[in-house]
Amino acid sequence: MKFIEVLIAEAKLIFTDVAIVLTIIGGVILYSFLYPQPYAKESVSSLSVTVVDLDKSNISRSIVFKLNATPQIDVVRQDNSQNDALDALEHTLVKAVVIIPAHFQRDLTLGVSPTIAVGADSSYFLIYGSILEGAMRAVLTEGAKIKVANLLKHQMPLSGAKDAYTPFSINSINLFNKNNSYTQYVIPAVFILILQQTLLIGLGIFGGGINERMRAGEYGIYRDAKTYQLLLSRVVIFGTIFFVHMLFYFGFSYENFHITHIANIVELLTFGVLFLLATVMFGIFLGSLFSSREIATPVILFSSLPLVFSVGFIWPLEAIPSFVHTIALAVPVTPAIHGFLELNQMGATFEGIREYALILVVQIAIYGFLGYYCINKNRNFNEQV
Amino acid sequence: MFKAFSFAFFHELQEIKNSWYRLILLTLLPIFSFGFLVVIFYKGVATELPIVVVDNDKSDISRRVLFNIDATATVEIKYRVTDLSSALNLVQTSQAYAIVEIPAHFKRDILLQKQPKVTVMLNTQYILIGKIVKAALLESIMHSAGEVEYLKNLVTTQNSEESINAITPIGLQVTPFYNTYKNYFLFLVSALLPSIWQIFIVIATIVSFGTLFKAGREREFFSSEYIGMKILGKLFPYTIVYFLLGVGFVAYIYGTLGWVFQGSFTVTFFAIFLTVIAYQSVALLFFVTGFDYARSLSLGAVYTAPAFAFLGVTFPVDSMNGFSVFWRDLLPVSHYMELQISQANYGVDIFMELDKLLAIALFSLALIPVYFRFKQRLQG
Repeated sequence: MKFIEVLIAEAKLIFTDVAIVLTIIGGVILYSFLYPQPYAKESVSSLSVTVVDLDKSNISRSIVFKLNATPQIDVVRQDNSQNDALDALEHTLVKAVVIIPAHFQRDLTLGVSPTIAVGADSSYFLIYGSILEGAMRAVLTEGAKIKVANLLKHQMPLSGAKDAYTPFSINSINLFNKNNSYTQYVIPAVFILILQQTLLIGLGIFGGGINERMRAGEYGIYRDAKTYQLLLSRVVIFGTIFFVHMLFYFGFSYENFHITHIANIVELLTFGVLFLLATVMFGIFLGSLFSSREIATPVILFSSLPLVFSVGFIWPLEAIPSFVHTIALAVPVTPAIHGFLELNQMGATFEGIREYALILVVQIAIYGFLGYYCINKNRNFNEQV
Repeated sequence: MFKAFSFAFFHELQEIKNSWYRLILLTLLPIFSFGFLVVIFYKGVATELPIVVVDNDKSDISRRVLFNIDATATVEIKYRVTDLSSALNLVQTSQAYAIVEIPAHFKRDILLQKQPKVTVMLNTQYILIGKIVKAALLESIMHSAGEVEYLKNLVTTQNSEESINAITPIGLQVTPFYNTYKNYFLFLVSALLPSIWQIFIVIATIVSFGTLFKAGREREFFSSEYIGMKILGKLFPYTIVYFLLGVGFVAYIYGTLGWVFQGSFTVTFFAIFLTVIAYQSVALLFFVTGFDYARSLSLGAVYTAPAFAFLGVTFPVDSMNGFSVFWRDLLPVSHYMELQISQANYGVDIFMELDKLLAIALFSLALIPVYFRFKQRLQG
C-alpha cells in the first residue's frame, strides 16, 4: 500500500471525528484566548488598606501619605480604633491594617525607634507580599529622611548626609519580565502545556477509537497498512496541524498579549519541532493503550495540574522531591517548558538548553519504539481473534 | 417514586462494580492526584535556592555581606564567578535564580561615606521564586548594612541601644493574619485540591451517562417512567463518593496536618455537598446538548480545566478583568473556595456565607432543562 493512500485514509478518519476536531482545532484556539484572561491586567492593582493613626502628628500623616503613594497600597479609610479596623478586615473591605502608635512623633524625637504595625490578610497569594513591599518602601523612605535630618543636626552638609545615612545601599534589578507581569510569567509555560495536552487528547481519542473499531472487527486502513506507515502518517498529520498552532501561539498570541519573544527563530522552531515530535510519539503510544475513545480526555485532564506544578517554574525544583521531577521529566512538557522559557523569555542560547533538547530526542526514540510496538501488538492480537 | 430512585442507585452501584475504569475514577485517580500535589508542596517553604555572586572587592566587609547571605535559610551561594557575563549565563539557564554583585572599592567607598551600591539581579521570569529570593536577599543585605552602621554609631555614641535605634528610626512589625506567610503549602494545596476535585465530579458524571447512551441502553434503563428520579438515583453514588472526597481533603488539611480552621466544619461540609450537586448538574447540562459521550467530555474539559487560574487565590480577583470575573462566577468551585477561605481563616458565621451557599445551590437549577431534554429524548 502506498504511503499517500494511508495518509489520506487516516486524515479522513481524523477530520470526520467531531470530538477530535473540537479538541485539536477548536480547543487549541479557544484556550489561547481563555487562559490569559485572568491575568489580562498583568499585575496586581493597588490593594485597599485602612490606617489607624493614633498619633495624628505631622510625621504620622506624612507616613500615611507615603503609604498611599506607593503603587501597591491604596489607603481607602482611616479608623479610630484597632477594633474598627479589624472589623473592616473581616468584612473584606480592606486587605490590611496599618497602625501608627500613639506618641509616635515624640518617640522619634527621643530616638527610641517607635514601631509601626502592619497586619495583612495572607489568605491570598500575592496580596500579603505586595502590602509588605509597599509598607517597607514607605517606612524606609521616611526613615531615611529622618536619618538625613539627624545628620544635618550634627553639622554634616546635605550633600554628604544624603550618602552617609547608610553605609551602602541596594540596587535591585529585574533581569527578565521586568514589570513582574503575571501574563509573562504564566502564559509562556501554560501555552506549552495546552499544546501538549490537546495533542495528547487528540491522539488518545484517535488511538482509542481505532482500538474500539478493531475490537468490533470493523475493516479499515489501520488493518491494511504497514505499522510504520500508520506511525508516519500520524506524525505528518498531527505534526503539521500543531506546527501551525505553534506558529500561531508563538507568533500571533505572543504579540497579542505582549509577551517577550527574544529567541532566535531557527533555534526556537528547531526546539519546537523536537517538542512536537516527542509529544506526537508519546500520544501515539498512549492512544495505543486506551481501550476506548473516551479514556483520553479524563486521563490527560487530570494530569494537567500535577504536571504544571512539578515542572519547577512556579514552585522551585529545589523544594520539590526529586522523584516527582524525575517522573515529570518523562513527559515532553517538562523539558519543553524549561527550554522554551530559557530560549524565548530569558535569552539563553541553544547551547544552554542542549540538555533539554537531548531529553526530547530520547523521548522521541523511546515513545516512537513503544508506539510502534504497541500498535503492532494490538493489530496482531485482533487479527487472531 | 422512591423505588425508581433506589432502582437507579443500585443499578449504578452494580455498574461501578463491573467497571474498573469507573472504580478508578472514584478512588485511585483522585487520591493519587491529591497525593501527588500534596507531595510537591509538602515542604511548604523553599530553602537553599541557588544564587551566584560576583565579588569585585574581596574585602572583609564584602565577605561579611556574602557570608550573611549564605547564612540565610532561603538562598545558598552556589557559584562564585569573576565576571557578570558568566553569572548571567547561569541565570539564563536556571542554574541560579539571582546575581549579587559587589562593586570594586566597596570597602573604601563605605569608609569614605560614599554609599556604594550592592547590585542584586533577579530572575523575575519565575515571579514566585523571584519574590522569595528577593525578600531573602534584601533582608540579609540590609541587615549587613545595619551591622556596619551599628559599629560606626558605636564609635560616636558609645551606647549600644542608642546606636541600634539610630539605624532604624522607625521600626516595622508585620503580622500575617490567617496563614504564616512563608508557607506555600496552605496557599496552593488548599486551592489545588478543590480544583482537581471538580474535574473528577464532571468527568465521572459524564462517564456514567455517556457509557449508558453509547451502549444504546438508555431506553431500557429509563423505560420512560420516573425519569427525574432515575437521573437522581444514578447520580447519587457519585454524590456520596465525591462528597466524602471533599470532606476528606478538608479533614486532611485542617485536621491531620493541623492548619488553623476558625469556622464551622458543618457549614463547609454543607457547601461541599452543594458543590458536588452543582457540578453534577452542570455536567448533565453539557451532556444533554447532544447526548454525545466524547463531545460532552470535551465540553467538560474546557469548563473545568482552567478553573484554578480563575479562583483568585494566585492572582487576586480585584485585579481581574470583567470577562474573567464573569467566567469565575460561572464556576461553582470559585464560590466554594471563597467560603472555604472565609470559614478557615475568618471564621465568619453562617449568615455571612448565605450568598455563597445560594450561588452554589443555584447551579442545580440546571437539572430542570436537563430533565426536559431527557424526557424529550426518551419519549420522543
